[in-house]
Amino acid sequence: MLRIAAIADVHFSEDSSGSLRAYWSQLHTLADVLLIGGDLTTHGEVGQAAVLAQELEVVQVPVVAVLGNHDYHADQADQVRRELEHRSVIVLEGESITLSINGKRLGVVGTKGFGGGFAGACGTAFGEPEMKAFIRHTERLAAQMEDGLRALNADYRVALLHYSPIKDTISGERLEIYPFLGSFLLAEAIDQAGADLVIHGHAHHGQEKGVTACGVPVRNVALPMLKRAYAVYNLEKREEQQECQGVEEIANRGTEKQGS
Amino acid sequence: MNVDYQYLVGKLQNAFATDPRVSMLDVKVMVCGGKIHLTGQVASEERRRAVAEVVSEVIPDVEVRNELTVFEVTQPAHPEVISA
Repeated sequence: MLRIAAIADVHFSEDSSGSLRAYWSQLHTLADVLLIGGDLTTHGEVGQAAVLAQELEVVQVPVVAVLGNHDYHADQADQVRRELEHRSVIVLEGESITLSINGKRLGVVGTKGFGGGFAGACGTAFGEPEMKAFIRHTERLAAQMEDGLRALNADYRVALLHYSPIKDTISGERLEIYPFLGSFLLAEAIDQAGADLVIHGHAHHGQEKGVTACGVPVRNVALPMLKRAYAVYNLEKREEQQECQGVEEIANRGTEKQGS
Repeated sequence: MNVDYQYLVGKLQNAFATDPRVSMLDVKVMVCGGKIHLTGQVASEERRRAVAEVVSEVIPDVEVRNELTVFEVTQPAHPEVISA
């Protein structure tokens, strides 16, 4: 079993010091690793990342993070990343890491992800260059996620995102902004490659629990929604891997219909 | 307030997103009876005050009803077991 602590959208600023330290200092009693799903800062300034990095010094387990949209706002994303890495936080963007924990290998593929919407109400790479660039950015990050998951050699595989791959975990947000909260392309990539768990944030008014079309558990851990210092998910191996029954059932139904 | 209300709401929400004192995308703004009503949740009392300050700077001399609440962070709940 691997114990995974996860949080997102901590939105640290200069006055956030001490706000989560008491909880994080005890995190190792409940979890083997801490995953942070983006929006580490309020405005993407390196000074804000420094406050968070200092706060994270009390965490006694490995910390893996991705950046979120807020972390890009001040055009200091590279410095924000370096500041965190300087304090031993593993920051992923289209990259993966395999950690050896209690004799088990935990593989994490991380990306900010991006928007575009969900099947049936989504943008396409069509028309103006700006629209094509928007969707192609999501397509590129989704492809990196899929490649990263496929390449992992690990006992447990986790996808760490900021944007949501599914609608379930953003339910509660206004429908009009769904295309800015995530994209089905991310879920498709995860389902194609396979994963044991998906962690994301971004949707402050969403729901914690959801599942991809192929049954991969998805957890939204945005702090303003959870109102807890972090969530803990204990990953346990089951004897028989469940197959992607949803897709197969649909395929079978289609075959039966054609045959009848 | 000599501005159409719907434009006013958009202008304020843009200011809430881009002003470094606030940096929030989910403050709800309603204009009613010539007053600005603010609702939603923020992480700190400082942030709550900053939202009202931004309103006063964008639209001077407007009455602000600040109904934002500060959410409390608590201990993690019991772990959820997920079969992998």
